[in-house]
Amino acid sequence: MALLNLKEFHSPRSLADARALLDANEDALVLSGGTFLHGLEARGLLSDVEALVDIRRIGLDAVEIDGAGLEIGATATFARLQAVPEVGTEAWLGALADALTYPPVQIRNTATFGGCVAAACPFFDIPTALLALDASVDTDGPDGGRSLSLSELFMGLFANTLDTGELITALFVPRPAGRVASAFLKLEGNANDLAIVNAAVRLSVDAGGVCTDARVALGGGVAESTLRIPSAETILLGAKLDEATLRAAGEAVADDISPMSDHRASAAYRSALAKVMTRRALERAVARLS
Amino acid sequence: MKQMIRLEVNGETHELAVDKDATLRDVLRDQIGLNGPKRGCDSGGCGCCTVHVDGRAVYSCLCYALSYDGASVLTADGLSTGADLHPIQQAFIDAGAVQCGYCTCGMMMSAKQLLDECPQPDEEQIRHGIAGNLCRCTGYVKIVDAVKLAAERLAK
Repeated sequence: MALLNLKEFHSPRSLADARALLDANEDALVLSGGTFLHGLEARGLLSDVEALVDIRRIGLDAVEIDGAGLEIGATATFARLQAVPEVGTEAWLGALADALTYPPVQIRNTATFGGCVAAACPFFDIPTALLALDASVDTDGPDGGRSLSLSELFMGLFANTLDTGELITALFVPRPAGRVASAFLKLEGNANDLAIVNAAVRLSVDAGGVCTDARVALGGGVAESTLRIPSAETILLGAKLDEATLRAAGEAVADDISPMSDHRASAAYRSALAKVMTRRALERAVARLS
Repeated sequence: MKQMIRLEVNGETHELAVDKDATLRDVLRDQIGLNGPKRGCDSGGCGCCTVHVDGRAVYSCLCYALSYDGASVLTADGLSTGADLHPIQQAFIDAGAVQCGYCTCGMMMSAKQLLDECPQPDEEQIRHGIAGNLCRCTGYVKIVDAVKLAAERLAK
């Protein structure tokens, strides 16, 4: 492999031990599932890493769901979440259930939620779903812990706002009140590729079918970070969720994105597809409301 | 400096001194001498390094060996324990699902995970179950046939 300067590999057994290791070596990198780390390593981007701290044995893999919401330990794997019955049955978690079906089984068995969001990779699927679900992360750092929304966590392409020595300990997805449904969709080149465009939405409606809350998120290279789409949310809020409204909301996403061109797709293609994928994700969520 | 780990691989316990950045695949192939997990894309895209760790299929090229101290590993080499091939292996032969063979060991390990969890999968479930494994020869039709055949035989 290509961690040519790796001198230390630590497997702490408690958060306190991990804390001490990270405090003692501010260049140490936190390792969780490792599936993204290897991608960086294969491209020669980690050749100066001298210490890894594997946090998968410090007891951060619990998953709990209650009236307040869904708490996901940082080192819980995607497969772990798929095994939670409510993830497959509760309409408000529909976007997460959708997003979990895309990665191949080998990744679902290895990749973890903390690593997935810490990677700040705009091409990943699960962060887009979590952003639409208003998820936040809890952290532990040299100066104590804090809570960050995903918008606050994502700083840019592969860059997060965590401080030196700070690690994610858990994610929290709040349970919204009332009639709520969410959905996620991905456009990909083949079954095991990153997204060209992905879209996630969460919609709340009142008894009359009027939208009382809307969250729309897009990823897959529509910008350097996975991001929310206020222009679409504004159109949905206060409206009846009929075909014309969903179409208008889809058309509006172009105002909020600045897509990139790469070997997967051109910016123009991503821009065109972002509108379609948003509308289809909205249709999927609306179908789950009834 | 190397660090010691203990792995149970295909039912045998191994005490191994491994490099800090060695992958599980490196250890299985180069230190234990198993041929099942192959080196393909080296980045979690092709699936030919697939093995089971504690009963779950993983890309062994993405696993740092030091993270798996104490784990139980099953590779394609360990599918068959006696004189007879495992039903999944025999089905791959009988269905003609093997051409160059490079993907086969990984395919069989993904098929095993699928059939462990879902003993009677339909075609869509089979295709979803092997979505993390690439085959550049067969076009997948005979591989899907093989998994179906294995499911039928395992049900008997």
